Amino acid sequence: MSDIKTRYLLVGFSVAGWWCARAIRERDRNGKIVALTKENGVYSPPLITYYLGNKVSTIDYRSGWMENLDLELVPGGEAKKLERENNRLILASGESFVFEKALIATGGLPIVPPIPGREVTGVFTLTTPRDMQEIREFMKFQEGERVTILGGGFIGLKTAEAFMELGVKITLVELANRLLQNMVDERGSYYLEKALERAGLEVIKEDTVSEFQSREGKLSGALLQSGKYLPGNLAVVAIGVHPNIDWLQGSGIELGRGVIVDEFQESKRAGIFAAGDVAETKNLITGERNVVAVWPEAVKQGKIAGENMAGNRLSYPGSLPVNTVSVGEVTLVSAGLVNPPAGDFEFLTTVSDDSYRKLVLKDGYLVGVILVNRIEKAGVYINLIRQKVKVESFKDRLLKEDFGMINLPAEYRKHLVEGASIEV
Amino acid sequence: MKRIRIHEEYCIGCRLCEINCLVKHSRSGKIIKAFRGEEPRSLPRVRVEEEGYLSFALQCRHCDDAPCLENCPTGAMYRDEETQAVLCDEDKCIGCWMCIMSCPLGVIQRERKTKKVASKCDLCRGEEIPVCVKNCPNEALAYE
Ligand SMILES: Cc1cc2nc3c(=O)[nH]c(=O)nc-3n(C[C@H](O)[C@H](O)[C@H](O)COP(=O)(O)OP(=O)(O)OC[C@H]3O[C@@H](n4cnc5c(N)ncnc54)[C@H](O)[C@@H]3O)c2cc1C
Ligand code: SF4
Ligand code: SF4
Repeated sequence: MSDIKTRYLLVGFSVAGWWCARAIRERDRNGKIVALTKENGVYSPPLITYYLGNKVSTIDYRSGWMENLDLELVPGGEAKKLERENNRLILASGESFVFEKALIATGGLPIVPPIPGREVTGVFTLTTPRDMQEIREFMKFQEGERVTILGGGFIGLKTAEAFMELGVKITLVELANRLLQNMVDERGSYYLEKALERAGLEVIKEDTVSEFQSREGKLSGALLQSGKYLPGNLAVVAIGVHPNIDWLQGSGIELGRGVIVDEFQESKRAGIFAAGDVAETKNLITGERNVVAVWPEAVKQGKIAGENMAGNRLSYPGSLPVNTVSVGEVTLVSAGLVNPPAGDFEFLTTVSDDSYRKLVLKDGYLVGVILVNRIEKAGVYINLIRQKVKVESFKDRLLKEDFGMINLPAEYRKHLVEGASIEV
Repeated sequence: MKRIRIHEEYCIGCRLCEINCLVKHSRSGKIIKAFRGEEPRSLPRVRVEEEGYLSFALQCRHCDDAPCLENCPTGAMYRDEETQAVLCDEDKCIGCWMCIMSCPLGVIQRERKTKKVASKCDLCRGEEIPVCVKNCPNEALAYE
């Protein structure tokens, strides 16, 4: 088969790929863009659980905007191999592409630990439309009244939320002593657990599944390390995702936990960039390399990669873990360093029956925030972290009832309100 | 595009903008009903912030690279082609609050309607001048 030539090749076309394409188009109207996706169309991953829970009727992502991007989408185009010496990529189908610039944005794959019985019918993961369809099909033919969810992280909770909508009895099993262990502290988890309990969900902490037991190849229940047994024919493993990089072995791309990129989102191979859940970047606060697999960072990294692929030289300030979860009656926001190591960190908190707010400061700068239920000012705090604004002089006002833009230094406030990108 | 300009030096903190905004976005559009008869009461989408003698009315800036729009997973947050305003399509909104987490000004709120949706300034869709601007007695807001 002969090579297909393209100026830009996007390997993976979801959040990072989409925003990369848009950034390219802002600078280069005509350069050919080919976008590969393993799936059938362009979808929004967070909608998968909402769709399962019948809360949305489509998982499409901004399909109305596709025309403006003027790109060639290759659905079902699974990348298999990137040649070490050439800018040439080969698909599972045998097709091949020769490119000038490429973006690696193949996202993450669910982690499934080697638990005996994980392959039996009834044990699922839930990160792709296909997973979601399989669970739907399965539930049609089962008395699936009970589900065990392994993992109390944020995909585990999103999964729980979907099953709550379906009226299924849910048990959530988490190895740590709290839920959302990367997003909140024990107190934050406490509000979440209370809300889950009120919603009728069972939470088991400091335990894990040691075996999925089955009858005739079908799940019959989950045996926990503690000896507890959870009967039921449906289980979802949701302990996290890891970068989808195996297909890059032998390509000469430097791999750590993910594709290692510099501040321009470029890998060690010039002209080949990476963004989103597959990319390993520097953490904005700690400077350590890590993979921050959340939507807002995928957008930012995708845009920067796109700009730079089209000839600009913008740098990414570093990744900031940010996320929000609502289940039952509780809403949480978390950003930055929320459980800092020992050291001179300062903590500001307010606690009430139904809300909790915690700010983490270092050397007069905000570096982390947890908000439970009172989340309206979340973006203000997060922007103070991102912009590295010194908060020392007004830190006593940060948690006031009516805290707002007015409490911020006038220059910063005016910059935001009248700044280059935000005209008044 | 036309935007709402804030003149904090003229703001007297009377909150007439908030009241007019609330009424404008209520079901009845009538002031007494909006405050007394509608449950849940609508929310004003402009907020007067005060500290000491300083006050100003703040609402969405309809940013060029709007982070609320970029981070909305449903596409509910969109830019109106005609006015360039950043608007929320409430039918599509799932109340995930990614937009709230992203707005550097903190001007999006959670509103309980038939479901929970994101609520923000819509420049009074269709009105020639947004009601907050029109009803400010001291020209602390201008639409230009
Ligand atoms: C159920 C769920 C809920 C979520 N909820 C939230 C949330 O509320 N907030 C939040 O911030 N984040 C959330 N996330 C995370 C967020 O969706 C991701 O951070 C984001 O999608 C990352 O985008 P990406 O483009 O890097 O990768 P992905 O969205 O994972 O896309 C990867 C793309 O690569 C393609 N691909 C993979 N392998 C190949 C291959 N070999 N060849 C070609 N194409 C390939 C796939 O088809 C896909 O198009 C959620 C994720 C899931 C799964
Ligand atoms: S809601 Fe906030 S982020 Fe969105 S356009 Fe308005 S000011 Fe900008
Ligand atoms: S709350 Fe609604 S508008 Fe905001 S990000 Fe979520 S879906 Fe979009």
